Amino acid sequence: MRRAILIGLSVALLSGCARLVPDVKPYEREQLADPIMSFSRDPVSDQYLDHVYDVREGARGATTSQGGGCGCN
Amino acid sequence: MSLSSILKSAICAVAIAFLSTADAQARLPAIGAIAPDFTLHSNLGKNLKLSEYRGQVVLINFWATWCGPCREELPQLERQRARYQRGGFVLLGVSVDDNPRAAQEMAHRLGVQFPVLFDAGKQVSGRYDIDAMPSTLLIDRGGVVRYLHRGYRSGVEQEYDVKVRELLRQ
Repeated sequence: MRRAILIGLSVALLSGCARLVPDVKPYEREQLADPIMSFSRDPVSDQYLDHVYDVREGARGATTSQGGGCGCN
Repeated sequence: MSLSSILKSAICAVAIAFLSTADAQARLPAIGAIAPDFTLHSNLGKNLKLSEYRGQVVLINFWATWCGPCREELPQLERQRARYQRGGFVLLGVSVDDNPRAAQEMAHRLGVQFPVLFDAGKQVSGRYDIDAMPSTLLIDRGGVVRYLHRGYRSGVEQEYDVKVRELLRQ
């Protein structure tokens, strides 16, 4: 009995070590690829402002992502 | 409880944990393997079955209306269909859109004349473990997957051209 509990607990703990699989597959990204999901309405202006922050504050990266989320890039 | 029995339990647990993740990795039809058969509703108004095209070279393209490169690729594929159809070449476009009507309209607008199959339930995409949009598979006359291309960049269709011709000759 104790053994079964031990195995059960270990499986529960070790399942965290399993290979990471993204929850949203490329073919399921219909809603994410919708333009309404983009962070800003004006990506060109945003690029300029990013550059300003980049130069003035040394703040870089993690602001945008490439592509519309269809997984084609 | 002795140390060895704890060790045995631990090994057992590791084995179970790994086995439970194994099936996710084994789904993709590998090159050289028989393409999994499927039946899907099509824009021709009837169901189409992959195995009915045995004896012909089949190109399956997984696409969606919301995917820019897919929209770019479809007219190129249509050109290939027109070119090789008489040699025993079949092109099937599998749309993964939730709304089949949107896919149908898009295909019509892009001048697509090959059958468009609707995989709104995503079962076939899941079975083929599609990990990029668009994805293109080439299946030979014997039903074996011979070529797989992920994504689309302009010019890739020339590579398809070479492969299709090679398979048509066999």
